[in-house]
Amino acid sequence: MNPAVHLDGITKRFPGVVANDDVDLEIERGSVHALLGENGAGKTTLMNVLYGLYRPTEGTVVVDGEPRSFASPRDAIDAGIGMIHQHFMLVDPMTVWENVVLGNEPRTWGGLRVDEAAAREAVVELSERYGFDVDPDARIADVSVGVQQRVEILKALYRGADVLIMDEPTAVLTPQEVEELYDVFEELTDQGKTIIFISHKLGEALSAADEITVLRDGVKVGTVASADVTREELAEMMVGREVLMEPATTPREPGERVLEVTDLHVDDDRGVEAVSGITFELRGGEVFGIAGVDGNGQSQLAEAITGMREPASGSVDYLGEPMAGVSRRGHIDRGMAFVPEDRHERGLVMSYDLVQNGILGSQHDPPFASGGRIDWEASTEHAESVIEAYDVRPPNPDADAEDFSGGNQQKFIVGREFERDPDLVVATHPTRGVDIGSTEFLHDRLLELRAEGKAVLLISSKLDEVQGLSDRLAVIHEGEFSGVVDPATVTEEEIGLLMAGESLADETVSGAAIHDALDDGLGGSGADGADDVEAGSDRETAADGEVDA
Amino acid sequence: MRNPLADVPVPLLDDLIDDEYVRSLVVGVVGTLGLLGLFGLLFPGSVAGDLAGIVFSTSTAASTARLAAPIVLAGLGGIFAEKSGVINIGLEGLLIISAFASVYIASVVGIGNAVLGIPAIWIGFMAGIAASTLLAGVFGVVCIEFKADQIIAGLAVWLIALGLAPFMSTVFFGGVNTPNLGANVGWRYSAVMVVVATVASWWALNRTAFGKHLEASGENPKALDTVGVSVSRVRYAGVLLSGVLSGVGGSALALSIGQFVGSGETMVQGKGFIAIVAYLFGNYNPLGTLGAGVLFAGLDATQIRLQQLGYAVPDTLVQTIPYVVVIVVLALVGRTRLPAAAGDHYETEE
Repeated sequence: MNPAVHLDGITKRFPGVVANDDVDLEIERGSVHALLGENGAGKTTLMNVLYGLYRPTEGTVVVDGEPRSFASPRDAIDAGIGMIHQHFMLVDPMTVWENVVLGNEPRTWGGLRVDEAAAREAVVELSERYGFDVDPDARIADVSVGVQQRVEILKALYRGADVLIMDEPTAVLTPQEVEELYDVFEELTDQGKTIIFISHKLGEALSAADEITVLRDGVKVGTVASADVTREELAEMMVGREVLMEPATTPREPGERVLEVTDLHVDDDRGVEAVSGITFELRGGEVFGIAGVDGNGQSQLAEAITGMREPASGSVDYLGEPMAGVSRRGHIDRGMAFVPEDRHERGLVMSYDLVQNGILGSQHDPPFASGGRIDWEASTEHAESVIEAYDVRPPNPDADAEDFSGGNQQKFIVGREFERDPDLVVATHPTRGVDIGSTEFLHDRLLELRAEGKAVLLISSKLDEVQGLSDRLAVIHEGEFSGVVDPATVTEEEIGLLMAGESLADETVSGAAIHDALDDGLGGSGADGADDVEAGSDRETAADGEVDA
Repeated sequence: MRNPLADVPVPLLDDLIDDEYVRSLVVGVVGTLGLLGLFGLLFPGSVAGDLAGIVFSTSTAASTARLAAPIVLAGLGGIFAEKSGVINIGLEGLLIISAFASVYIASVVGIGNAVLGIPAIWIGFMAGIAASTLLAGVFGVVCIEFKADQIIAGLAVWLIALGLAPFMSTVFFGGVNTPNLGANVGWRYSAVMVVVATVASWWALNRTAFGKHLEASGENPKALDTVGVSVSRVRYAGVLLSGVLSGVGGSALALSIGQFVGSGETMVQGKGFIAIVAYLFGNYNPLGTLGAGVLFAGLDATQIRLQQLGYAVPDTLVQTIPYVVVIVVLALVGRTRLPAAAGDHYETEE
């Protein structure tokens, strides 16, 4: 039997870049195939070739034994290939069935009327056949992200797709939704559909895929059966060298007191108290980690410390000086760096190039400003140095921020902030969306800052990250520290208890509560539910590259 | 003749009644008119009596239909453009150009003459539609093909028409106002066109595949593009329809009198902008737009009649009512939501 898809020697060149270099790929019908690689390895480009968005420079796409040349996605759809993009292509105010049939509406009355009954019936029929639980009349805006993803799958199936390409399908899902997605995979492959998914998460590829193809720098490293390979081997295939499982921290004597937060109360945008009386201090040469389920006041705490949000009460003293009433610019001028959690909203101006983004926050200061004008030469040099030091790809300072992948945007922001020569770095989710090689590098840089005697406040929902890097670890729950522990000795179960808001002395906590807390919050994708050692949580180390909560 | 609505299945009526917005509008208008009528019956000599007499007179109805046609039709056109993602604030210009073109061509043909058996006045009518559609087409090319800012291009459409129409009138007729044709299109034609266009628009937007594509084009053009429907084509269709409908409105306005008045703001007098108010007030629903347009036109017509009866109603104040209403609606009610991608350009990838 012919393979469902055969990519034969695909090369795709863009001006100055070879995105795919002679890639061969065969995908069995009815299998789940993971395309694994770091940011910029050429996974998405390869799939765009298969989906007809790009024409290959060389090579042939063979579908079901027949060589094809796709001029547009329309041709690919006709050949039975469907693609589900990372960002869903759905119309929010329209209903599920309207979205599913969009562009292929069944019509009556000589084309003057959309045959609603037929459309709804087709959607219900598909939905039932594959065990999706989707209400055809619900509005997209009202349904969860997991359901939206199923609507995207229905869209592809409605158009007769036999091969489904999914780009980073778990990036936006909760752990429970990820499990459901794997069930959907199973249902689809049972009925003869073929699934190719793009990922940079090892655990996900190992648990969901039958076969894994690893790409690196546009070249295929190899295809392996997921049953015959270990995490370490995969990580090495992806990165091209051995990857350290644990960041190496060495004990250090803390220095001067840099930050002192006393009984801080902060409200969120709706005026509801988000931070309820937090007190801690942070010294130079120390990493203070804050773990917790997202949405327990971490964002507001970080914003209050960095001068982006006025505290309701309490004080923040920085380098011995009370910061009440000091402007945001005052915070930057005093050497406080901030890696914000939302890189699109606060980290970058998407329509600026990297030269402009590189001086954001420093645009008033020499060497970037001289005599009221911006020195673009110095700015360009600065951007180039950050790009080089932090391995931002493609290395083009003149490209707009929006043209970079999320991981590369994140590397650039972190680079900009770390290179400010700060006394304090407030880093929220610094490695979110970053591949494993780069995560390892960013962790090393963070520890270098610590070795230089800087203070680091690290807020992350990735437990392995905060636990591995911090000297002291606080767990936040509903705006309060439920405990401050020594990350070297605390157990995962203990942290789970604290994240659920229990105190460690309390013996009455049920196992279920622990499990829930672990599932919800520890930065896991839940991809490793089958893995006994790591049941329910995401204890993958930096080497694993599980990068998104 | 069979009732054409007999074929319409019950869901259509259900939809209409279900639309809370339409329902509250209808209840409001009918309630106010009912109260007014009751008052007028009980106190025939009072102001209310006079008012009731005006509101329920045929001449006010005629005047309302005449004034409402450009507002409602341009408003319907605006819905098509904006739903597709192109904000057309040049509706005023489209009304002006079609008002002039209809009168000019009708006079060139000559009242009493006919082309292919069509009387001059209707030739003029069609010429008005053609002129407006042409100008909308230019606007579409500038916005969609060349990605100009829609607001600036829309203002340009207005300013071009505002300058061009009186200028051409001066060239061809020796004054900014054309002479009267001595023939006109009766108000009943306007009323029928308004109703037919409203129902047809409602159907097109809510029941056809084209309507779904329009909505997708304005909300998430990429979603439409990835399923193989050309966003540009849908947007051109939306903009051209705004030209056609505005053309009907502008021609109806000018030919209902038989003259183009080009002094000051021209005879269109901001009706294109009130049209925008009307469809926002109607929350992009053609029926709501019809209601709002009739309400605004009715207020204007009533005001004019009151002046004629000797009441010193400040006309400039009455004319601000639509704008005050829209600010109140937008600020307090807040139910009007622009299509998510309205005003954004769309470019297909590679």
